[in-house]
Amino acid sequence: MKKQHHIDLIPGDVGETVFIPGDVHRAKFIADHFDDAEFVAHKRQYVTYTGTYKGVRMSVTSTGIGCPALAIAVEELINVGAKNFIRIGTCGALQKYVKLGDIIIATAGVRGDGTSREYFPLEYPAVADFHLLEALVQAAGERNVKPHVGIVRGHDAFYAESILANGDYLARDKEWIESNVLSVENETPTLFTLTTVRKCRGGTILTPVGHHLFPDEMISEEAMKKAIALETMIALDAAVILDSIGNK
Amino acid sequence: MGSQDVHSKRQHHIDMVKGDVAPTVLTPGDPGRVEVFASLMDDAKKVAEKREYITYTGTKDGVPVSCTSTGLGTPPTAIGVEELIRIGAKNVIRIGTCGAIQDFLKPGHMIIATGAVRGEHTSEEFISMEYPAVADYRIVRALVDACEKLGLPYHLGIIRTHDAFYLESPWALGDFRIRLKPWVDMGVLALENESSTLFTLCSMQGIRAGTILASGYSILEEHDEKIHHEENIRKMVTAGIEAAKLLHERGLA
Repeated sequence: MKKQHHIDLIPGDVGETVFIPGDVHRAKFIADHFDDAEFVAHKRQYVTYTGTYKGVRMSVTSTGIGCPALAIAVEELINVGAKNFIRIGTCGALQKYVKLGDIIIATAGVRGDGTSREYFPLEYPAVADFHLLEALVQAAGERNVKPHVGIVRGHDAFYAESILANGDYLARDKEWIESNVLSVENETPTLFTLTTVRKCRGGTILTPVGHHLFPDEMISEEAMKKAIALETMIALDAAVILDSIGNK
Repeated sequence: MGSQDVHSKRQHHIDMVKGDVAPTVLTPGDPGRVEVFASLMDDAKKVAEKREYITYTGTKDGVPVSCTSTGLGTPPTAIGVEELIRIGAKNVIRIGTCGAIQDFLKPGHMIIATGAVRGEHTSEEFISMEYPAVADYRIVRALVDACEKLGLPYHLGIIRTHDAFYLESPWALGDFRIRLKPWVDMGVLALENESSTLFTLCSMQGIRAGTILASGYSILEEHDEKIHHEENIRKMVTAGIEAAKLLHERGLA
């Protein structure tokens, strides 16, 4: 098989589980948490490392921001053999009880993005893979972390719906705040719909770095790094749990 | 109207007050199926009957469980579920039948929904179509464990909820296969008429919801046999009751 057009990888280049951060520079940060990892490819915003953790082969590929770029990465990663996709990312909190630096595990995504609509009718639900979701919850528990487990909203226009937005972003958020949506981010609905239909597993773990209800609170660089390291370790442990349950 | 008012009143349609139902309520569409539930409990008494809403509450192995029929379709389901939540239901599990649309599904198989296609309109009156109709993962786990304990084969996945039975069923007017093809291709397991409103309403209010369905043969195949056997329906209701017991054991009821 030819090298995949965007991610520049061939079959055998990645493990069955691939972590997919949005941030290009987070690929190396995540790979640094493996027991060993090697740089594999870098084209556009797609940076890939492959290695092992607790004897399980796994990879990380950055997707860049947003669902259009994520869909390309996921399709091409499936072509080269990836089966489990765990998004590791940041988000903006929507609920009072969600604090900056907390851990959020998504059960499903609000489909506020355009990419998943181009693929699948809007009626189709964006849900996490059940076994991957359970693996993330279990892995968090084993590290004595109490995650928020629930629905997150994925959408396209950051500057329409974030604490840095032009205009009244809280008016836009109201519907989601009142319906128990935990936070806002930019990739999960396409990840969940695409992986479900392609018979792969999709999961998302996030940490809020901004709060829509308390926009003046910002997380410190150090606290953010700590939270991302924690969600990374939970995701790595979840990959090991998934490897042990096989193709259930 | 204050929330106190809403919760303390006798509910308009289901004709019940707080205390009439257990924390876990099974919700079949068919009022006749509430009797099946009652026959499988150690003791169960009829609590209320009004319109298509019939409720029994009882115990199984010491665990309180209720069963309220919702009638067919999402409009009465939304009313029934909303009122059940107002009188204290914490776990709502739909038990029902469906039209299977994948050829690996057979009579006697159970379908446990992780999510539902929102092919109906009731849930859209509550919230935008972007919002996911997702089952609660703890209820999914309880239903999976119940099926494993009872030795029932099960499939986990997405189902399609819709309104117009006579557009998407073996008795449909017109070519229902053409309508169903996109869903078949996307791996949707089966068709039914209630779950997406149940999931949406419950997620919005922080209540746990789930669905277990008794499968028949795929409706895309030709079969002379009856689509649903009473025995398989009894097994499905038994799994629902078992899941209610597991939720109770796990401190979720």
